[in-house]
Amino acid sequence: MSKKANKTPEQQQYEQLEQKHELKRPVMKNCIRAFWVGGLICVVGQAITYFYIYRFDFTEQTAGNPTVATMIFLSMLLTGFGVYDRLGQFAGAGSAVPVTGFGNAVISAAIEHRTEGFVLGVGGNMFKLAGAVILFGVFSAFVVALIKTLLIMWGVI
Amino acid sequence: MKKKLLSLIVFSLIILSGCNGDGKVTDSDLALLKTTHPPAVLIDKNTKENLDLVQNIERDVEEMKELYDVAVVKSNGDTLVAYKVKHLQRFHMKKIEKKMTEMLEEKYPDENFVVSSDYKIFIEAVELQEKMKDPDFTDKKAKEKLDKIIELKNEMT
Repeated sequence: MSKKANKTPEQQQYEQLEQKHELKRPVMKNCIRAFWVGGLICVVGQAITYFYIYRFDFTEQTAGNPTVATMIFLSMLLTGFGVYDRLGQFAGAGSAVPVTGFGNAVISAAIEHRTEGFVLGVGGNMFKLAGAVILFGVFSAFVVALIKTLLIMWGVI
Repeated sequence: MKKKLLSLIVFSLIILSGCNGDGKVTDSDLALLKTTHPPAVLIDKNTKENLDLVQNIERDVEEMKELYDVAVVKSNGDTLVAYKVKHLQRFHMKKIEKKMTEMLEEKYPDENFVVSSDYKIFIEAVELQEKMKDPDFTDKKAKEKLDKIIELKNEMT
């Protein structure tokens, strides 16, 4: 009510015009694409986990670390070859939410700022996008671990 | 672009299929994919009493309806029980482990149990059972292998 009341007649007219020409976002299609591509990335990750369990002395519990490292490495390579960008255009969040999206964020920022030199360009901007992931990831992990430690100390779990 | 992508796929396939062993497929190679039902293994004095004990343990564990595959290895020190949990029951993994430990300790108070639902531990237990068929594989070597499995089980990171 208040939003509409504050607008002048010209603004309202423009809004109607805009709505007539605006393309409808294919939300359903995007979701399905993200679901499939994200799922496929996870299948690859699962295959790598099993590879580590079979070929090396990793258990289900410990195989996660090398798997994450491998997935990030692969997505970094794919970003460098320009494949991951296309995947990102096609799948959106499906390729950005898994850990591979982190590798993509690091390398794409590094490539973008390559022309500004290695120290101030690549070094200074590499974690421009991924820095937020690291900061809030580490912080939320800290908070969760703190809660768990306290709960164990109090004997709740 | 197409050529680049193709060569990348071929390259990664070659890398991933590099170490394929001697081509002989054993049960331990397929332990993740199918139900193996390995017979119980005894690394101890081969008395009837011991054999009965280890078979009774395996039967008791197999009776739990949440599980579908059990491997038992008994030495003069520890007794390893590795099992696979039905997929939808994997939400209750902790509860199942607790229930099983309580049941085993109540029924066999003299045994020292090591219980694990980890696939890696299961694979290694099946591998040990396969190796025991070889007459050159001494009890000492078997005990060493069992100790290695238990060490692996206790690894956290």
